[in-house]
Amino acid sequence: MTLAAAATAVATDATSMAAESPGFLSPTGVEIAFLLVGVVTFGAAIVTVTTRQLVHAALWLVVTLGGLAVEYLLLTAEFIAWVQVLIYVGSVVVLLLFGLMLTKAPIGRSPDADSGNRWAALTVAVATAAALVWVVVDAFRTTWIDLDGAPAGSTEVTGKALFQNWVLPFEALSVLLLAALVGAIVLSRKAKADATATTASVPGSRSDKGGAR
Amino acid sequence: MAESLPPTRPRIPGSGLAKGLAVTLRTMTKKTVTAQYPDAQPDLPPRTRGVIGLFEENCTVCMLCARECPDWCIYIDSHKETVPPAAPGGRERSRNVLDRFAIDFSLCMYCGICIEVCPFDALFWSPEFEYAETDIRDLTHERDKLREWMWTVPAPPALDPAAEEPKEVAAARKTAEKLAAQQEAAAPQPAQPTEPAEPAGTEPHAAEQARAAERPTRPMGESKQQTDLPQQQTDLPPQEGQE
Amino acid sequence: MNDVLDVALRLLIVFGVFLTFPLIIGQTEHKVMAHMQGRLGPMYAGGFHGWAQLVADGVKFAQKEDVVPAGADRRIFQLAPAVALLPYLLVLLAIPIGPGEGAVGVLIDAGIFFVLAVMGVGVLGSLMAGWASANKFSLLGGLRTAAQLLAYELPMLLAAASVAMAAGTVSLPGILNAFEWWWLPWQIVGAIVFFVAGLAELQRPPFDMPVADSEIIFGAYTEYTGLRFALFLLAEYAGIVVLCGLTTVLFLGGWHGPWGADGLGWVWTLLKTAVLAFIVIWLRVTYPRLREDQLQKLSWTLLVPLSLAQIALTGIVKVVIQ
Repeated sequence: MTLAAAATAVATDATSMAAESPGFLSPTGVEIAFLLVGVVTFGAAIVTVTTRQLVHAALWLVVTLGGLAVEYLLLTAEFIAWVQVLIYVGSVVVLLLFGLMLTKAPIGRSPDADSGNRWAALTVAVATAAALVWVVVDAFRTTWIDLDGAPAGSTEVTGKALFQNWVLPFEALSVLLLAALVGAIVLSRKAKADATATTASVPGSRSDKGGAR
Repeated sequence: MAESLPPTRPRIPGSGLAKGLAVTLRTMTKKTVTAQYPDAQPDLPPRTRGVIGLFEENCTVCMLCARECPDWCIYIDSHKETVPPAAPGGRERSRNVLDRFAIDFSLCMYCGICIEVCPFDALFWSPEFEYAETDIRDLTHERDKLREWMWTVPAPPALDPAAEEPKEVAAARKTAEKLAAQQEAAAPQPAQPTEPAEPAGTEPHAAEQARAAERPTRPMGESKQQTDLPQQQTDLPPQEGQE
Repeated sequence: MNDVLDVALRLLIVFGVFLTFPLIIGQTEHKVMAHMQGRLGPMYAGGFHGWAQLVADGVKFAQKEDVVPAGADRRIFQLAPAVALLPYLLVLLAIPIGPGEGAVGVLIDAGIFFVLAVMGVGVLGSLMAGWASANKFSLLGGLRTAAQLLAYELPMLLAAASVAMAAGTVSLPGILNAFEWWWLPWQIVGAIVFFVAGLAELQRPPFDMPVADSEIIFGAYTEYTGLRFALFLLAEYAGIVVLCGLTTVLFLGGWHGPWGADGLGWVWTLLKTAVLAFIVIWLRVTYPRLREDQLQKLSWTLLVPLSLAQIALTGIVKVVIQ
């Protein structure tokens, strides 16, 4: 019994009916929850980009990403949900906060939190969202997840799909990440060489740290 | 650095870490050293510098202690009294009478100089230490309290078996012997064995005074007449041993 | 109705464990640490060898004033302890203590991922506290927390991945069902890496640079008083429970033991967890705090290569077996 299934167990009857005759007009408990969490996620995302307090933005980002994870859970994609929490909430946001703390993140409003090209950003964001929504709706218009059957997003199913049907994109992504990693190492080593060349008195302690990371 | 050390055996990596773990584990199995103080009284050495007791009968208000005190924490008040002449037609004597003797233990640094300098053995170290107060002003203790602490002063340790006889005991013995010789010379007259010390020097006199006043701290059987001093001198606590 | 009762009962039990086990470990730490240092530890509270010391501490914390610094970010400051504490409660739900479906709070398919993901969230509480306190020491503590998390999350994940590879599943009961005794020597390196990295993530000594009280005055918790501070402490001890439980389940075979695996499996789990908790305390007493650069070096130059080697070993053995 998965968490998602546990969440749905309460409304089993309604779900089974909905699975037989999917439609927007008789929403099941899961669908309502999905919508509500979606609204919360969307609201958190809006606050993330509009708040003037930098660290608050990062924390609202946590809410947004967590909301997305819950949405994955409701779609029975349990593995993806936990990986989402692990990578984005656990690591990316921590990295973000680390960066914010290292630079200047005052308590209260940051005067320079606003950017002049907000309209351009908005345009790009709306365009991206429209494209994504269009693609997703076009691709999965008639697809319904059967909540009662075998979970469609369990670790086993995801793993099989990933390493049978999608193994080429997966490997391509791996190579991309590897390239990024190698690039980062090369860059930090170059900086170290420069630092030792220019300032012989200070033996590049900063780039040492960069290299260690 | 490792090369300079004598080649004992190859160092296993992590052996230092293991050694540290072993130390703590071994300590855990041993008996603890915690003293459960309020439940169990500490076993203090007899010379412990706990508090200063005043043996006020010995005090002559010479003020040496108050003057030598580095912290100026000793307060002494006195007045002069006139003692009528001992014999008719004699001269009146005056002596100092102690009115107040107080030590401010919030200032005292327990250096013990006052005890060192007291020429009349009126100040002593006591191992008593439980006199904390909640108000700093209450730490100024008056003569009655200081006198009370005198009861907690332990008896001085015995001399070594082969040690020289204490000076005052020697003086007392000499006096007693001289007296005995006198009595032998004047044999027909009745002997006065209980009043032999009067013509002795000041030193044995003071010592005897102290001993007499301190008597309640000791078992009654130990109190001695001066006449039998020479025989049991090793039992006697010498006053010099106080420091 | 029976299902609801079942769920409620499980939640209640897990909550009870969550409230008592950290206290037991805390009390054990008091006494064990004291005896390892030749002391007696608490002796008065509760009468018998100070067994109620932590209860007394709790009462004391509850009586204290809850101070929020004037310059602090109020809401985040107040929210941080909850963020630090709650993830461990959630993780506790997923740890199986015995065989069968009855011995785990909630059966989760991707158990390892769930557990590691949620534990990572707990660190966010320290970060929030460090930033929101409006205190330089707290900020430094927060920074160190973040750096430590980034450094030690990777070896921890890799070590866990090794076990998942060995078992062929990422579900915690699944791993235990597949467990054989010879996994112990096979996965020992991964176990050590996991345990050490977990200690570092909990900021337990000797990896307590982020809270180093002698230099940055308890880091992110500098400004906390009263119950909120107590919640942070509780989070630390709950973290010990979770880490020891997880190491038991992943590497030490959980309910498997030389005998009594059927009825008394949970005893084995608890026993192994307790031994690991003792080791946590033991390490704390024994070793001095690592410097920040040593911390980073240990992770990147020792733990990560070791965990990668473990994964390679696991892979090789797995292929050879098949």
